[in-house]
Amino acid sequence: MEPVFRLTLGQLTGRWRIVIMAVLAAMPVMITLMVLGADAPSVRDFETAILGTMLAGSIAPLVVLAIAGAAFGNEVEDRTLANLTLSPVPRWQIALPKLLATIAIAGPFMAASAFLTAHVAYLGDARASLAVAAGAVAGVAMYAALFVWLGLRSTQAVGIGLVYIVLWEGFFTGFVAGARLFSIRYYAMGVAHAIDPRRFASADLLGPAAAAAATLVVLGGFFYLTTRRLRTMDVP
Amino acid sequence: MTGTVFDIGYQRYTGRREGRGRSRKAIFKDGFRTALGFGRGGRAKVLPWLFIAVLAAIALVMALVAGAAERIGGPGTAAEAGLPSHSDYNGIASIIMFVFAAVVGPELLCPDRREGTIHLYRVRPITGSDYILSRYAAFLLVMTLAALLPQVILFLGLSMGDPAPMEYLRRHWLDIARFVGAGTAMAAYATGLALLTASYTTRRAYASVFLVGLFVVSAPFTLGMAEQMESDAGRWIAMFNLTNIPVHVNDIIFNDVSEVTEDSPVRELPAWVRVAWYFLWTLGPVGILTARYRRLGA
Amino acid sequence: MTAGDAVIRVNGVSRWFGSVVAVSDVSFDVRPGITGLLGPNGAGKTTLLRMMTGLASTSMGTVTVLGEPVRDNPPLYRRIGVMSEHETVYGFMKGRAYVRAMAKLRGVKDLERAVDRAIAFVDLEDVQHRPMDTYSRGMRQRMRLAATLVHDPEVLVLDEPLNGADPRQRVHFKSLLERLAADGRTIVLSSHILEEVEQVADTVLLIVNGKLAASGGFRAIRAALNERPYHVRVLCDAPRELASAVVRLPSVDAVNVDPDGAMVVLSRNVLDLQVELPRLAQRARVGLRRVEPLDDSLESVFGYLVES
Repeated sequence: MEPVFRLTLGQLTGRWRIVIMAVLAAMPVMITLMVLGADAPSVRDFETAILGTMLAGSIAPLVVLAIAGAAFGNEVEDRTLANLTLSPVPRWQIALPKLLATIAIAGPFMAASAFLTAHVAYLGDARASLAVAAGAVAGVAMYAALFVWLGLRSTQAVGIGLVYIVLWEGFFTGFVAGARLFSIRYYAMGVAHAIDPRRFASADLLGPAAAAAATLVVLGGFFYLTTRRLRTMDVP
Repeated sequence: MTGTVFDIGYQRYTGRREGRGRSRKAIFKDGFRTALGFGRGGRAKVLPWLFIAVLAAIALVMALVAGAAERIGGPGTAAEAGLPSHSDYNGIASIIMFVFAAVVGPELLCPDRREGTIHLYRVRPITGSDYILSRYAAFLLVMTLAALLPQVILFLGLSMGDPAPMEYLRRHWLDIARFVGAGTAMAAYATGLALLTASYTTRRAYASVFLVGLFVVSAPFTLGMAEQMESDAGRWIAMFNLTNIPVHVNDIIFNDVSEVTEDSPVRELPAWVRVAWYFLWTLGPVGILTARYRRLGA
Repeated sequence: MTAGDAVIRVNGVSRWFGSVVAVSDVSFDVRPGITGLLGPNGAGKTTLLRMMTGLASTSMGTVTVLGEPVRDNPPLYRRIGVMSEHETVYGFMKGRAYVRAMAKLRGVKDLERAVDRAIAFVDLEDVQHRPMDTYSRGMRQRMRLAATLVHDPEVLVLDEPLNGADPRQRVHFKSLLERLAADGRTIVLSSHILEEVEQVADTVLLIVNGKLAASGGFRAIRAALNERPYHVRVLCDAPRELASAVVRLPSVDAVNVDPDGAMVVLSRNVLDLQVELPRLAQRARVGLRRVEPLDDSLESVFGYLVES
């Protein structure tokens, strides 16, 4: 599994990509710093706007889409996937390092962004910052599982992913309460809430057990689908 | 030693040979078809037509709601109640238009550079600017249609919902001119930025995500900074809210205020500044694209 | 498994994509040695090779390699090496790193030695530490071949391995293949370059329009095409005189005389012609300058089969 992991790290990192990710990760922190200076918004507004909408709803999924979508997407597009599938290992040992590499690249940036944003906003409250960071990592992992599968499954992965992020996560789940049951963003916020119940207290979220279960279902479900696809697809 | 040519039935082309105009038309037509997924099977059509359907659906819903309001409350209710109208439509639909441009725009430029087929264009008697301008025109047409179709639907819906449709038409004919102008402005803006971004990478995926990220992040970021800064600096910073630039133009054309631009400090700037800024962000990309592709050209 | 046993067994295999049938009811066995898979573009060679290596599924029929089904059977890839027709590699990787990664993926022990051996085999030691996007096309093909061989597979399936190779590299490649085959390996190679396949392959499989048109040694195939007479060109002093004598032979179907005096004899029994022609020439007092078969080549066999 290690060769696939290292190969994927090499494929998906690159000077410009790291720079763009760093800039995006810095945005919520900078905005928080700026916004706190002026008339500070309420905790609820802050959580909804900066953490919930901007970080969890836009920046994190977009960053993960770019990386996770490319994990298998680039291999399929370049027709190099056969290099990996022609090896005598079970398919999950190809899918897992791809997923882990994606999380390893996007995770630290988003976790740091979430941690620092929360640290600034909640005035150094360690539990709050860790809770938000944990939520960010859970969100990154779930988005990664989804988009890694999507990148393998469809050549239009990015278009579909963008429609999901902008229309579903960005629009529907904000207005339709029922849609939140099927929203990675809300699951991630649920994880943060589970660790520190003061966070996202106003949002209508799943309870701690449900949030954990949802996270596992999303991760496991899409990972299983990825493995299955590797077994049954015609490799280009 | 002499050479011989064997007549094996090969016939030379003896028809008309057309010039650059024909090439440009061909590149334009190909771009238009690629953007809408024509000639490439069902899957290629899903995304572009999904976006168009969503845009049209929004307009349809708006028209139905306004029509219902008119019928229930009598004529003029819709305007009184402040229900969304033509000028608001552009603000509401702007993000969808930008995502549409982000997803479909790169299809016109990235594959040619990735697969190397750009070189096939280079060895023809056309220039690099022929290529890029034809592609730009094709995508501009697609975006304009996507921007105007919903407005036409809305207009038809509003006029038919009105108890006296012909009267409505007579009173509101100017709206048509306005929404055509505003829609084209939105389309041109999105087209330029989408194609410019696509010209910097060979993978469509990266171009699309970068564009959406740019739009999605610039809004809150500039808003936050604007709140921090003092009035003048704050206004200038807010100018960099990329999602609002065409919407300001929309506001100027309709002489109205959209929801999205209500709170923007940019509104305090004189109209000519906002329009000039818009043209910079719309024509600037065209200029940069032409310069970039001139180097790639024959 | 004895030397004569089938290593790859393709049984009643068909593959369709929607309403397009790419491969239609193909059955054959591949034995140790070099087997060439030939056919015009679009004949279904690549689809067939992909099914033989488990990269694509069959719509009907089975493919077994070394006695086991090849699809959805990852452990079998320890013993198979596959080189696809696509030339794309991980450009950012250095050649050696690529071969090493592939070796690791395929579970090779004694990694560095195996990688050294594979790279030496393809003669790319000088450039192994450069990124592969700086390689020429031929170098990339050879490095890909090294990655295909690094785990010492018993079975090698190569799709258009000579794409982009210059003549010198093609000669080198042929000798590589012969060395590999001499070790008892089974090699299946698809190619458009008939002369090379003719020289290295023991057995040839011809695919036309998704169907197996012929299999076996190409001379045997040629002989089996007995509705096609052999064409033999004869250059002599008095072609028309000789022609009038030759046409009387029962083994001769027809005789054509070109305006520039070359005589082409169409015969179904060249052995008989071989004996009779000099006799007739002597009797007619015509000097024979040159007698050469025109279609004793894989190319002409290919041509006949593709046409029909």
